[in-house]
Amino acid sequence: MTGPETPQATRQGPVVAGDQAREQANQEQAGQEQQVPQYVYGVTSAEAKLAEDVVGLDDKPVSLVVHGRCAAVVGDLPQGRPLGERADLLAHQRVLDALVHAGTVVLPFRFGAALTSREAVKSELLETNGERLAEVLDQLQGRVELRVKGTYVQENVLRELLSDDPEIAELNQRLREIPPEAADAAYYDRVRLGELIANAMRNRRDHDGQQILQALASLAERTVARTPVREEDVVDASFLVDQDRRAEFEQAVEAIAKDGADRVRLRLIGPLPPYDFVPEGT
Amino acid sequence: MTGPIAQQTSGTSYSQQRGSSGSGLADVVDLILEKGLVIDVYARVSLVGIEILTVDVRIVVASVDTYLRFAEACNRLDIAHDGTSQGLPQMIDSMQESGAKKKTKGALAGAQERIKETFGGSDEEEDEKDKQPARRRSKKEEDE
Repeated sequence: MTGPETPQATRQGPVVAGDQAREQANQEQAGQEQQVPQYVYGVTSAEAKLAEDVVGLDDKPVSLVVHGRCAAVVGDLPQGRPLGERADLLAHQRVLDALVHAGTVVLPFRFGAALTSREAVKSELLETNGERLAEVLDQLQGRVELRVKGTYVQENVLRELLSDDPEIAELNQRLREIPPEAADAAYYDRVRLGELIANAMRNRRDHDGQQILQALASLAERTVARTPVREEDVVDASFLVDQDRRAEFEQAVEAIAKDGADRVRLRLIGPLPPYDFVPEGT
Repeated sequence: MTGPIAQQTSGTSYSQQRGSSGSGLADVVDLILEKGLVIDVYARVSLVGIEILTVDVRIVVASVDTYLRFAEACNRLDIAHDGTSQGLPQMIDSMQESGAKKKTKGALAGAQERIKETFGGSDEEEDEKDKQPARRRSKKEEDE
């Protein structure tokens, strides 16, 4: 066989010995598993290198499907069972995390994406969306997601509430005077006290959380703030931070943590794959 | 009261206090399941129909339980205040301060390790993240 061949020609043309050999070589290259459904962890740049020791779902190997400027990070989809166990979530995160820690830009996919084959990953995901994906990768290049969570130091904030809120102080005092053997009778009063405390904490957090957000948002390219789940949570936000400013950002978190050490305990989680900063589907 | 003011997801005081387990997955599970690129919206593709276990990320402790927990914490707080030992709260404060500073530094310096540690944790239930920290603190107070 001489001259360049398009894939189409290979597929549609008459099968001769050379084609067969090439076809076989391709098969072997792909591990002879072209028809195995592929779980997609994310998309990275075509130049990315995967760490060899990183395994995915069910400890299966992870590989790249490269097309143009992008590469999908894929692995064989476990068959015959539903996904979503703890180990599955960990595997998903582990694969993406390895890229993040190697300084490789990656677009994380939401848990649970799979295509019918490696060929489908290429033709349906990368060929049709490669340009858009590459643009997003460009935007995320050199940036990481850092998540900051803050929780009230319960004891100290309870003290604040007791001294600031007469209703809470009064009810607490009254409950304290009830002997232990009569505690059951005061059940609803205890619930009421807890409710008052929870409401007061929520009010406080609007102010406290906003201050933390404002101090950190200026150091980030983008910010996504979530409403904290628990009453005693003050802040829960993700920041897209440029690698060059990461040290500065972490110092700022540390400074805020020190300033408010008696009231708010801050935690920094990351660098994470930029889950919060990929385009949202509509 | 005993936790550091800033720390990594796990591997520091929390997990040490509780043995080998950490609350790691709890800190990112909502991202894994609710964020990230959605393939079938972004691309017109022949998806494999895979069954995903339904995981309720937003497991919130029932309000009443939360309220009772606060009431209990408040009650215990008062006992500490009325305790005969004047020096106790102060001692705890100073211990906390020095401990916190040390941990903050270590925590932020070790940022690269963070997620590995996060996921090195054990089989802690997701919903425990809602209850554990407060309980742990309470326990510790009693111990001291």
